[in-house]
Amino acid sequence: MSNQESLHEVLRQSAEQLYAHELEALRQTDTGKVPAGWQMSPQAVLTFITGGKAGKVDITPKYIGNRRLVEMAIATLVTDRALLLIGEPGTAKSWLSENLTAAIYGHSGLVVQGTAGTTEEHVRYSWNYAMLLANGPTPEALVQSPIMRAMEAGGIARFEEISRCASEVQDALISILSEKTISVPELGKEMNARKGFSIIATANTRDRGVNEMSAALKRRFNIIVLPAPDSIETEIEIVRKRVGEIASAYDLQAAVPAEEALHKVVTIFRELRSGMTLDKKNKLKSPAGVISTAEAISLLTNSMALAASFGSGELTDEDLAAGLQGAIVKDDDKDRIVWKEYLDNVMKKRGADWHGLYHACKEINQ
Amino acid sequence: MSTGNGNGVHIFGVRHLSPGGAMHLLSELDRIQPTAVLIEGPADATPEIRHLVHRKTRPPVAILSFTAELPVRTALWPLAEYSPEYQAMKWAADHRAEASFIDLPSSVMIALQEKRDLARKQRPALGDVPTAEEPDEQTEPLSLEEREELFSDHQHGSLYDQIAKLAGEDDYEMYWERSYEHNLNPDAYREAILAFSEQMRALTEEQEKIHATVEYAYNAVREAYMCRKIQDAIQQGHQPDRILVICGAYHAAALRTSVHIMTDEEMKTLPQRPTRLTLMPYSYYRLSSMSGYGAGNQAPYYYELMWQQMKSGALDELPHLYLSSVARHLRQSGTHRSTAEVIEAVRMARSLAALHHGSAPVLRDLRDAAQTLLGHGDLAVVAESLAHINVGTSIGHLAEGVSQTPIQDDLNRLFKELKLGKYKTTVATDLVLDLRENRRVRTEASAYLDLNRSFLLHRLQLLGIRFAQLKSSGQEQASWAEQWVLQWSPEAEIQVVESTLLGETVEVAAAYVLQQKLEACTTIAEASRLIVTACECGMVTQLENARQTLQRLAVDNQDVIQIASAAKGLSTIIQYGDIRRVQTEPLVPLLEQLFMRACLFLTDNSQCKDEVAAEMMSAIHELNTISLDHGEAVDESLWLHELQQLMSRDDLNAKLSGFACSLLMERNVLEASQASAEVSRRLSPGVPAELGAGWFEGLSQRNRYMLLSRISLWEQLSDYIDALEQDDFVRALVFLRRAFSTFAPHEKNMIAELLGEIWGVHAEQVAEVLTEELKAEETKMIDDLNDFDFDDF
Repeated sequence: MSNQESLHEVLRQSAEQLYAHELEALRQTDTGKVPAGWQMSPQAVLTFITGGKAGKVDITPKYIGNRRLVEMAIATLVTDRALLLIGEPGTAKSWLSENLTAAIYGHSGLVVQGTAGTTEEHVRYSWNYAMLLANGPTPEALVQSPIMRAMEAGGIARFEEISRCASEVQDALISILSEKTISVPELGKEMNARKGFSIIATANTRDRGVNEMSAALKRRFNIIVLPAPDSIETEIEIVRKRVGEIASAYDLQAAVPAEEALHKVVTIFRELRSGMTLDKKNKLKSPAGVISTAEAISLLTNSMALAASFGSGELTDEDLAAGLQGAIVKDDDKDRIVWKEYLDNVMKKRGADWHGLYHACKEINQ
Repeated sequence: MSTGNGNGVHIFGVRHLSPGGAMHLLSELDRIQPTAVLIEGPADATPEIRHLVHRKTRPPVAILSFTAELPVRTALWPLAEYSPEYQAMKWAADHRAEASFIDLPSSVMIALQEKRDLARKQRPALGDVPTAEEPDEQTEPLSLEEREELFSDHQHGSLYDQIAKLAGEDDYEMYWERSYEHNLNPDAYREAILAFSEQMRALTEEQEKIHATVEYAYNAVREAYMCRKIQDAIQQGHQPDRILVICGAYHAAALRTSVHIMTDEEMKTLPQRPTRLTLMPYSYYRLSSMSGYGAGNQAPYYYELMWQQMKSGALDELPHLYLSSVARHLRQSGTHRSTAEVIEAVRMARSLAALHHGSAPVLRDLRDAAQTLLGHGDLAVVAESLAHINVGTSIGHLAEGVSQTPIQDDLNRLFKELKLGKYKTTVATDLVLDLRENRRVRTEASAYLDLNRSFLLHRLQLLGIRFAQLKSSGQEQASWAEQWVLQWSPEAEIQVVESTLLGETVEVAAAYVLQQKLEACTTIAEASRLIVTACECGMVTQLENARQTLQRLAVDNQDVIQIASAAKGLSTIIQYGDIRRVQTEPLVPLLEQLFMRACLFLTDNSQCKDEVAAEMMSAIHELNTISLDHGEAVDESLWLHELQQLMSRDDLNAKLSGFACSLLMERNVLEASQASAEVSRRLSPGVPAELGAGWFEGLSQRNRYMLLSRISLWEQLSDYIDALEQDDFVRALVFLRRAFSTFAPHEKNMIAELLGEIWGVHAEQVAEVLTEELKAEETKMIDDLNDFDFDDF
C-alpha cells in the first residue's frame, strides 16, 4: 500500500486506520506494564476490543458478546503462544484477529490468506528469480513471507483460513512455531524471531473444502472457539454497530435501518440458524448455507445500497426482502422451499407488524 | 491490632469453607493465644467438638440437627478440613483452649427457620427493589429448604453479581477467590473482609428493616444471642483480649460494635422445637451439590489442594498441581495430552490472572486454560476430568460410635442381634441365606436367624441404603434361598444417618417409605410389586395396606397383561409366603378377584396386534399356571371356557388362538378328534397364509414333544402347505420360518423325520439333506425372503 493513496480511496480501511484515534488515546493513558514488542498493555488491548474509556475518549466495543473469550485470546498472546480462532463462518474470527493485531502490533497487514493453492513459499519465503539468476542467492533476492517479516519485526502475522491450505503447507508452521526461526540454507543464515512475534490463525469448523489440521500443529496453538452470539440482544447490537460503521465508510446515501428492521432480520436469522422459533414452540428447517451474523450485516448494507441507489433512501420492506432472498436462498430449490415454509408457517402468523415484509418476501420468492 | 468489640474481644470474620480464611485464622490464633475460642455454630453442639477434633475424625463431616417429630425439619453444618471453624477447634484442642459454639441452639434455629419460611411465603413481591433478604447467604449454613429458596432468588444473586462486575470479574466466585483466598498478607484478609461486610450491611440493612422485617429480626436475635454468649465467656473468667470469636463475615461487623445483649427473660421467650443433634460423615460430592452454600462448594477438592499448598507454603504451585492432575486424568481416560501442553496451560492461566491484576490464577482461569490447551478449545473434552479434580471423591469418617442417630443405634443393635457385624466392612462379601426354619437349634431367634436377616436386608434396600445387593439365585432354591453381596461404605453410613428423618428405627423408616410408595402408586403392576416388597420385608401392616391399594386399582383395570403380572406376584407369595412366616390368607380372595377379571377380559384383550401377542402369550401362560397352582381357589372352569372361546373364535389374534389350542391340548381338555378338527379348520386351503402360519406359530410355542407326538398334525400341516399357491407359499414360509426358528436342532430333525415318514422318504436321507450346508443358490433364496415385502399388512 503506497502512501500516496488517500484514505478515502481505499475500499476498506484496516482496523488501525479506522480506530487510529482510539488506539492513540489508549496508548497515552495506558498505565499497565507493556510486554516486549507490544504497543500497549494487555489491559488496554482488552479495553480496545471490548470497549470502555481511555481518558476522555470513548472506546467502541469491537467484539460484543463474550468478554472472557477475548481475555483468553489476549492471555494467549502474552505468553507468546500462537492463537487459533475456530468457529463457524461469520462468527467474527477475522474481525477479532485483525483488531487484536492492530492493538498489539499496530499493523494488521501481515496476512497469509490461506487457499487450496497456498504453497510453502507463501508461509516461509520465496525468491525474486530474475535477481536469483543474475546474482545467485543474496539477501536482496529473498522475498520474505508475511510471517517472516513479522518475525523480523517482532510483530504479529495473521494466517487467515488456515484449514483451507493443504495439510503439508499447514505443517510448515510446526517448526516455525516451536523453534521461532526460519532457516534460509541458500544464504547460510537463519531468521530468528524478535520478541513480540506471534501468529493469529483463523479456521472454519464446518465448511466445504476444509482440511483437517494435524495434531502436531494443533498442539502449537492455543485454540479458542468463537460461538455464535448467544442472545438476540447481543446479535442486534453487533449488527447495528457494524451496519452503522460500514454505512459511514461506504458513504451510503440511505438512512441507517430502523430498530424494527434490525430486529426482524436478526430474528429471522436466529430462527433459521437454530431450526427453531425464538419461543421454542415450532421446529423449522434450516437452509443448507450458513446464516451468520456477518451475513445479516451484509444483507442490511446491501439493502441500504439498494434503497439509496434505486429507492427513496428509506429502507423499505421490498429492499429487505430482496436482501433476505439473496442471503437465505443459495442452494436454489431446497432453500427456496425452506424459505417458503418459513414465510407461510411462521412469518405470516406474526401479525400486522410483519405483513409488509411477508408480502414483499412472498412476491420475490415465487 | 485487636479488632475487639467494646470490651476488647477479638472478632474474626470468615467465609465458611475458605482455606484462605483458615490460614489467616491460624496465624491470628497463634498471635492472640486465646483461652476461649467461640465459634458461630449451634450452641447445643458444643459437646460434639471433642468428637470433631478426635484424631480418628476425618473431614468432611457435618453436624446434623433434626426435629424429633413430624414434619421433620433439618439443619446442616458441614465442615471440611479447610473450614476455618474446624481448624479453630483443632487449634483449641492442641492448645488446651476452650472451644464452644455460640450461635442459637439448633432447637431455636429450626423453630425460627419455620417462621422465616412462613414469612417469606406471605410476603408480597417486592418489585425491583434490590434487597438482599439473606445477606449472609455466603457465610451461613443453610437448611435444605432454605437452599432451594435461595436458588430461585434472582434478586439476591444480582447484588453479588454487581460486586463481581464492578471488580471486573465474570462471577462472584471468581471475585471472592481472587480478592480473599489468594491474599496471604497478614491482616489484609481480616481487614478486607471486615470492610466488605460493613459495607454490605450498610447497603442491605436499611432495605431489610423495611422490606424483610423477619429477616432483619432473625439476624438481630442471632447476634444478640452471640453477644450474650461472649459476655458469658467473660464472666466465666476469660480475659476479654484472650477471647477470639469466629463468625460469618456478615456478623463480624455487628459483633464488633456490640449490639444488644440478650437477657435471660428474652432467652426464655425464644420459640423452640425439640431437636436432636448428631455428627455424620459427609462427602465432597454432597458438599459440591449443595448450591447456594458458601465458598468451596463447587470445588471442594480444589480447595483442599489449595489448603494443602498453603500449609506447605507452596500456593504458587497450585496451578501446576491442578492442571497436571487434569492432564493425568485425561490420559487415564484415553486422551493423550503432553507435558508441554500442561506447561502452556499454566502460563496461560497465569497471564489470565495477570489481566485481572491477580497474584495467582483462580479456578475459572484454570478451567479456561484447561479448555484452551488440554481440550483444544472444546470444553466437553476436559469437562469430566475437571469435575473429577474439582469435586474429588473424599468421604469423611468419624470414630466408631460418635455418629449416633436413633436409627444408627437400631441398625447396630440389629447387626449384633443378627450376627451381621462382621459384614460391616468395605470388602464385598457373599452371604447365602436359608430362609427355612433351622430345626436343629433350640431358640426361636436362631431358628429364624436367616429369615430375620433377609427382612433386614430387604428393608435396607427399600430405604435406599446401599449395603446389600441381592443376586438372582439358581432356580431350584428360588423359594427358600437368597444370595446377597454385602459391602459397607461411608456413603452407606451417610444414607443411614439420613434415614433418621424417616423414622427412628429401621422398621419404622422402612414402613414409612413403603407407605409413601403405596400412596404414590398408580398401576396394579406397581402395587403388586409393593406387596412382594412388603412380604420380603416382613411388614404385615403394610402388606394389608398394599393389598387394599392393589384391590382398589384392580377394580378399574382391564389390561390382562398387567392383571396377570400382578396375579403372578400374588400367587408366588401365597405359595411360598409361609417360608417368610407371612399370613397370606387375606391375599387369596384378591387373587381370585384378579384371576376372574383376567378371564373376563381375556377375549377382549386378545384382539390385538402381533407386537402385543408375545406379551399376551406370557400373560396367558402365567394365568394358566395360576389356575393349575391354585385350582381350589380360582375358577378353573371359567378359565378353560375362556380358553376355548379364544381358540375357536376367528376374529381374535390367530397366534393367541393357536396358543390357546395348545394349552387346551396340553390340559387334555381337547380330545384328539376335536384337536385335529381344529387344526384342519385353521389350516384349510383358502385361509390367508399369515393367519394359518401365525396360528401354527402360536400352537408351537408350547410343549413341543406333545406336538411331535401327533403325526396327524404334521400331515395336516403338510397338506396345507401343498395346497398353497406360489405367492401364498412364500408368505407362509416367512411365518413358518419364524415359528420354527425357536426349535432346537434335534427338534427340527425330529420334524424332518416325521415329515419324511409322511412323504414316504427314508428318514436318514431327509436328515442328511437337512443338515447339509446351504448351497449358494439356496442362501440367496433365503436372503430374498428377508427382503420379503409384506405390502398391505
